[in-house]
Amino acid sequence: MLRRALLLAIVFLPGLAAGVAAPDLEDQTRALAAELRCVVCQNLSVADSPSEMAQQMRAIVREQLQAGKTPEQVKDFFVSKYGEWVLLKPKTSGIGLLLWFLPYVALTFGVITALWFVRRWVRRKTLAEQSPAAGGMERVRSEIAREHMEQPDSEDTSPRAELLRERERLRAELRELEFDFQSGKHSEADFMALRSEIENKFGALIERLDRLPAETRAHAAREKRPAHTPANKTPAKTSNDTRRRFRRWQLAAGGSFLLLFGLALGVFLMQSLRPRMSEQDTITGDFMTGTRGAATAGLLQEGKQAFAKQDFAKAIEAFKLVLAQEPNQPEAHAYMGFILVQAGHGDGALMAFEKALAVAPNFPMALWGKGMVLYRDKQDYAGARPVLEKLLQLMPPGEERNEITKVLAEIPTSGGPSQKAAAVAPTAANSGQTISGKITVDAKLKGKIDAQAALFIIARPAGGTAGPPLAVKKIDRPSFPLSYSLGQENVMMQGTPFAGPINITVRLDKDGNAVTREAGNLLGDYKKNPVTVGSQNVDITLDQLAQ
Amino acid sequence: MPWRRLIITASIIAPLLALFAYGFMRDARYIHSPLIAKPAAPFAITLFDGTTLNLENLKGKAVFLNFWASWCPPCRAEARDLESAWRKVKDQNVVYIGVALQDTEENARAFLKEFDITYPNGRDESGRISVDYGVWGIPESFFIDSQGRITYKHTGGIRAALVETKLAEAIKGIVTAQEGKGEYQQVR
Repeated sequence: MLRRALLLAIVFLPGLAAGVAAPDLEDQTRALAAELRCVVCQNLSVADSPSEMAQQMRAIVREQLQAGKTPEQVKDFFVSKYGEWVLLKPKTSGIGLLLWFLPYVALTFGVITALWFVRRWVRRKTLAEQSPAAGGMERVRSEIAREHMEQPDSEDTSPRAELLRERERLRAELRELEFDFQSGKHSEADFMALRSEIENKFGALIERLDRLPAETRAHAAREKRPAHTPANKTPAKTSNDTRRRFRRWQLAAGGSFLLLFGLALGVFLMQSLRPRMSEQDTITGDFMTGTRGAATAGLLQEGKQAFAKQDFAKAIEAFKLVLAQEPNQPEAHAYMGFILVQAGHGDGALMAFEKALAVAPNFPMALWGKGMVLYRDKQDYAGARPVLEKLLQLMPPGEERNEITKVLAEIPTSGGPSQKAAAVAPTAANSGQTISGKITVDAKLKGKIDAQAALFIIARPAGGTAGPPLAVKKIDRPSFPLSYSLGQENVMMQGTPFAGPINITVRLDKDGNAVTREAGNLLGDYKKNPVTVGSQNVDITLDQLAQ
Repeated sequence: MPWRRLIITASIIAPLLALFAYGFMRDARYIHSPLIAKPAAPFAITLFDGTTLNLENLKGKAVFLNFWASWCPPCRAEARDLESAWRKVKDQNVVYIGVALQDTEENARAFLKEFDITYPNGRDESGRISVDYGVWGIPESFFIDSQGRITYKHTGGIRAALVETKLAEAIKGIVTAQEGKGEYQQVR
């Protein structure tokens, strides 16, 4: 019987034990996860974060606890991977100790400062309450201001003599205090408080003197009392007025500051908050929080307009701002890609298009950009074809779709050079063909030549003004007249043939930056544009001044 | 007296302002890795071709370990560069390993196909490898020398030229304590 019971216990106990341990393990996991910082959401613990990473971290905590590791060992594991940053509670050693104690030190310092202020305030109030009535204070101040006062005999040890000596000491103390105040050693508030204290003591002393027997008071009557002049009262009165005015000013300044602070906070807070647009969106959207939100649309529009006007510097600035606020804005990435293509940076352009496509895989603009860079710049036909085919599927019938079909027809199915490029590249005569001529400056504009300027000789396919030029040649600090020749080696996109009817223009750029347009640049174009490759004497005069 | 007050006020306000300035200027999301110059955590990963790759079996080779996800824009941006760098060095004594995290198998495979990635890649389904390497912002790249020690860490997109340089350093066992930084995307 007993054996059977034991057997049953052995069979069921592990299950029972597990049944008891499970909630315990969950509690332990949760408690430990609550001490770890989520690497995604920063201000949430691993226990509270709904992120996938936090879930994985919780699973690791559970697994390690189950394997018999102590909570300290589990924490050490995460610290070894992410550093002490991962602990929500810093360690009580080294620099972590400082973090533990610093708040208490700050709190103690704050309490002591507050107590000091309260004590000072209470003392002043008490002194004010204890100070003799207006009439009493008048007498005290006149007594203090008296020049000739009865001096006790140095050998006299009577209570009256003692009081008179104390009176002299207080008068000296007051004079010293006034001197210190005049020399700037005390603030006005401290001076008032200390003076009031001494005056109170003086008042008490006078009362004690008054209470002495009549014969002893007779001496006092013999003392010369100078007339009370209004001048004696004036300093105290003026001082009190100044003090009141200062207080009023302080109150007004404090009140105004609080009002302005409240208004500013209210206005900025209202602007900083906005409805959540999507799950990933935040409720903050303002320059204060670095995510301007609604302003992004305006900036994007601004960038697009600048792009259309070929003001690339302005466009870059706008798109950069958009991306600073919304790092994954696909349109801004795509436009940046086109600007980079324009500047001849195929790699950078491709990266920009990829970033756009990571967020919006079917974004036509980015697909077009990526496809064209792969085809023209990288000559990666195998890579370009599927991209453009995908774009073709997405585009509705129309001119743009026809253009894509045309480009696709140009791309060979094999990975070799394109049919068009192949048709052009091997013909040595064609690749050797150039357009040449002379560039001069109009006599009226000779004085406008900037010594640091760079000359751009630009070839564009006839009939097309948008998009990147076919070929560009840059000559730094040119001297005129200047002979030039443009050929296949100046083509911007590798593999594009230098052929067809071409418009030639020139620009003497003040800052030498191809993507900016500034006033003062000198412009000129070939008067018989377009020209064909192989043309000579394509002479151009810089005869226009950019405004 | 006024000078004393001024000095006391300034000595209280100046450190507070400095603290605020430091707080505003640093990237609050950035986590510095304590793993540089430490032995790389061992792991085994099932690759997309079905084989298993064990880091411990790669002793004697320089390893480039890259964490990525198909939904991460900077990962897409660097993918082509990584593949071109791999094609240049694949005949040398180096191994590239790509680890896809927080990604579906389908999306990860499509990504590899799209960029024609030929170096070994696998999926860290449980997130164990990612946590072992303290991953928080992808793409994240680790360079491991022939002794199995981490010589360099780069958070964010990396260019082919830097990969080649750091791999050459890893082959020689040169450690760079300073972490590299590029455009990154926080994990989810």
